[in-house]
Amino acid sequence: MRTAISTLRLLSQALLIILAVSLINFALVRLAPGDPASVLAGQSGAADELYLAQLREQFGLDQPILVQLGKYYLQLLQFDLGYSYRQQLPVVNLIAERLPNTLLLTLSAFAIALILGVAFGVAAALNRDNWIDTAVGTAAMVLYASPVFFTGLMLILVFSVFLGWFPAFGSETIGADYGFIGQVADRLKYLVLPAVTLSLLYAATYTRLTRTAMLDVLQMDYVKLARAKGLPPFRIVGAHVLRNALLPVITIAGMQAGHLVGGAVVVETVFAWPGIGRLAFDALLQRDYPVLMGVFLISSIMVVFFNIITDLAYKVFDPTMEVS
Amino acid sequence: MKHSPFGFVASSSKTLAGTCLLAGLVVIALAAPVISPNDPWDMVGRPFTPPLSDGFLLGSDTLGRDILSGIIHGSRVSLFVGLAATVAALAIGLVVGGVAGFFSGRVDNALMRLTEIFQTIPSFVLAIMLVAVFQPSLASTITAIAVVSWPPIARLARAEFLAKRNLEYVSAAVSAGRPGWDIALREILPNALPPIIVMASLGVATAILLESAISFLGLGDPNLASWGYMIGVGRTVIRQAWWMSVFPGLAIMVAVLAINLLGEGLNDAISPSQRGGAKA
Amino acid sequence: MGKRMFSALVGVALLAMSSSASLAQAADQRLSMAINPEPATLILGLNLQAPTQTIGGKIYEGLIVFDKALDPQPSLAESWEISADGKTYTFNLQENVKWHDGAPFSSADVAFSLGTMLPQTHPIARTTLAVIDTIETPDDDTVVITLKNPFNAFLTALAMNTAPMMPKHIYEGTDYAANPANETPIGTGPFKLKEWKKGEYILLERNSDYWQADRPHLDEILFRVIPDEAARSIALENGDVQVTSFSDIEYVDVERFRSNDNFEVTYEGYEFFSPLMWIEINHRVGPLGDKRYRQALMYALDRNFIADAIWFGSAKPATGPISSTMKYYSADVPEYPYDPAKAEQLLDEMGLTPDASGVRHRVKLLGLPYGTTFVRTGEYIKQALSKVGIEVTLESVDRGTWAQRVAAWDYELTLDFVYQLGHPAIGIHRTYSSSNIRNVLFSNTMGYSNPEVDTLFDEATVETDQARLQETYTKAQQVLVDDVPLAWLIEIKFPTIHAKTVEGLVTTAHGVNGSFADVQIAE
Repeated sequence: MRTAISTLRLLSQALLIILAVSLINFALVRLAPGDPASVLAGQSGAADELYLAQLREQFGLDQPILVQLGKYYLQLLQFDLGYSYRQQLPVVNLIAERLPNTLLLTLSAFAIALILGVAFGVAAALNRDNWIDTAVGTAAMVLYASPVFFTGLMLILVFSVFLGWFPAFGSETIGADYGFIGQVADRLKYLVLPAVTLSLLYAATYTRLTRTAMLDVLQMDYVKLARAKGLPPFRIVGAHVLRNALLPVITIAGMQAGHLVGGAVVVETVFAWPGIGRLAFDALLQRDYPVLMGVFLISSIMVVFFNIITDLAYKVFDPTMEVS
Repeated sequence: MKHSPFGFVASSSKTLAGTCLLAGLVVIALAAPVISPNDPWDMVGRPFTPPLSDGFLLGSDTLGRDILSGIIHGSRVSLFVGLAATVAALAIGLVVGGVAGFFSGRVDNALMRLTEIFQTIPSFVLAIMLVAVFQPSLASTITAIAVVSWPPIARLARAEFLAKRNLEYVSAAVSAGRPGWDIALREILPNALPPIIVMASLGVATAILLESAISFLGLGDPNLASWGYMIGVGRTVIRQAWWMSVFPGLAIMVAVLAINLLGEGLNDAISPSQRGGAKA
Repeated sequence: MGKRMFSALVGVALLAMSSSASLAQAADQRLSMAINPEPATLILGLNLQAPTQTIGGKIYEGLIVFDKALDPQPSLAESWEISADGKTYTFNLQENVKWHDGAPFSSADVAFSLGTMLPQTHPIARTTLAVIDTIETPDDDTVVITLKNPFNAFLTALAMNTAPMMPKHIYEGTDYAANPANETPIGTGPFKLKEWKKGEYILLERNSDYWQADRPHLDEILFRVIPDEAARSIALENGDVQVTSFSDIEYVDVERFRSNDNFEVTYEGYEFFSPLMWIEINHRVGPLGDKRYRQALMYALDRNFIADAIWFGSAKPATGPISSTMKYYSADVPEYPYDPAKAEQLLDEMGLTPDASGVRHRVKLLGLPYGTTFVRTGEYIKQALSKVGIEVTLESVDRGTWAQRVAAWDYELTLDFVYQLGHPAIGIHRTYSSSNIRNVLFSNTMGYSNPEVDTLFDEATVETDQARLQETYTKAQQVLVDDVPLAWLIEIKFPTIHAKTVEGLVTTAHGVNGSFADVQIAE
């Protein structure tokens, strides 16, 4: 029952956010000074008023704003995000083509951040105040201050330009004809640098969180008791400490989902990763309103989706929540 | 709200290190026209000159502009945008959070919903959309950063106002018949401000990072050479000329590090209870 | 719960990884070429975007093609005669030409394309074909066109990109833009569409019924959509694509391919476009209407620096309104060497003396949002003009805003680059004629008006004698260069880079937009 209510609450929250986002971005792009019709015509090499009017009519740009808004919502209900002026394709198709790439990138980055963060956090906590703790802390501090595009460029410089281990751009070898396994391996090779780039900032945050949470839990009586009993450290860490230490990490991960998706825009640009972030950036430069609106909406839904997952994960790790 | 990874450094030494670095940056920014060897836009030498040659300490860029001068002048942009955007975010956050906390009830509910929405949506996507819509300029960059940075401040302000409105001296003021805005401004605000300002100071670092990303993508003010812009210029030639990207990047890191250290140090000093704690 | 979530995530990841289909290697003679951006459509009669021209140029043909000297050569028209008064054009069409669906190509298609469809759908043809008075088709292989007045650029208006032949049996009486047949282009060209995987590639196959005997040589042409500059450069290096064109490769990277023995870099094949980059000057804004100010701009800018350091050699300094790659170009014009002192002297003469901070005049430069090279050019201009006391504020806008503001005359200075489209009467008059001062992009938006230039252009339009035409254009160039209606900067030299094994790639003024009927791959 309680779960049902909280799920309902989450869903209504999600709906509210989607409604608000669609309203914001509709208003925002209408405020934009550029006239999409002249962009289209400009690329054709020549234009006159008649031609511009023709284009405006074709794309519904000649109608009153409220009519456009009404149409927009009506379309949204049918999962229709409009039509790209620039690419002359439905926005849903453009996004659907690229969304798997963005999900792959962000989820991989999240997984890497979680693994690195927890591992280093535990290591630092268990070695409190010795050189390991200091080294981990210093690395986290530096990463925390490094803009994500800079981290990406440095990784390209070292691992692609100097060492030649990983490709610097793209998501797969173009036109390669491998088997299934070969193709997965190929994609993994391309995934490493962008995913690691996107993960490092969060890895730094999770390291710090895990470390402090671990230290708190390690102070608790029952842990002290278990230690006194001579239980091996990995069992103590595994059974009691880690579980509790993960809770704040999950909370923060949910709260930072929006940053993760925003970070993907930059990372996709740096690594030429064909996801929706890069789509958004290209659309931005070309004033392709429907694409921009679509990406903003879909990425907001992605964030809501992340929030729901972290919420569920929280419940999995913290059975006491149901009772309290 | 802010999680920083420097638990291992004593707060006093953090404050000291942060203060020194930041003071250094401020001096560089203020003295830029005097100490900078060249105008950052001037094509003073051969393009693609590596560091430590032809009189270029840090090399030249694709047009033969001095990287060192660019970094020195860029400090002004970064610090100014960081500061201005934070002040603007502080103003928005204080108003929203203060009103929510002071009136509570439905107003609070509605405003917090709004805050929640702004906290959930992908802020960077919103920021670059804003800059593009209002056309790249210093003002649009600052506005965009402020619009996406105020929610944490609003939440803290609300919490502080909620906590303080029931304190004795506020109740006394209320029973003395003083108007609400007067109490909010004269009684609650001064007491609520210190922790909020500390949090906002950490926001300066975030603002600098945001500005650099916006400029990196080519959406910065075209008349200002900022660090992010320089990295954006160097990006495409990173195979041939690493120095064009590396040095401005290091500059950003130092600036952000300095502010984080200082903010953390202050935070520890104000709320020692949080030392080592992970309160979200 | 946790397990299920995990397997869902793995599912998403695997899905994403295997999403790209692999292309089976089938054809013996397959050329692969980078394309960017992905064209919106391949229907050349509806869209003139560069990628539409590149791919559509293999599918559709015009009556005429132009060789690298911009002289007309037969395409679908086997031969033609022009009457002495320059008003009647008689075309004899090639025989045995078929559309890709097997229907015969005839004079009726020509009459439909030139008389009905293109004047409505084609951005260039809608102006150039307005000169047509009547079109007669005495038989299936003959077309007689009478013009309202002599127009010596008329043949230029009949090329593959200025007037592609469209099939009457498919388009007549339909809504051209919404015709379902637009999914499957039907042309007469040497290649036809085989497969289009949106976002990935467009595959053309050999038209075995092509009217030219023993052509084409290639079995397939694969156009790979690669949106990222760096990725295109790697694809060319790895052999994933064999050809890149236009600004596909960062100018700074071109040198790498030039010094690589496996590649050839050519700047030929862009003669029809002959892109010219300039600073457009709004003559309505204060001192900008003064010839001395505009001349000062020319003296203050080092055009060699722009060509070498910003365009990395993919450009050469422009000398005037007509590119050196165009017919009727004349080098016999006033020169403006880099001479800041001369610029300052001219500004002094105008009474624009420096104020306390050394500034004579403040002006705004609207940037052209076509990528980093244009941004760098703007930055250079700002810097160079500050040396002579002109303080430039850069305005950075998106493409839509740029187009809108230029069309509305709402700018002071702006960067622009314009294609010259094969003939001055089509691509150049439009910029300087006072009768073309309009609120439309690529017209005389700067508001320049010089009766002498107008007269010379009017004469040139109807002049049929080539020697006298050259004289008229030489005179016009001399007048314009002295007047500096706008500040010509550089002629952009787009590089076409291809593997050495690819032969016969650039044979006409249309370059990579040509039909590729003669292209083959050496062993």
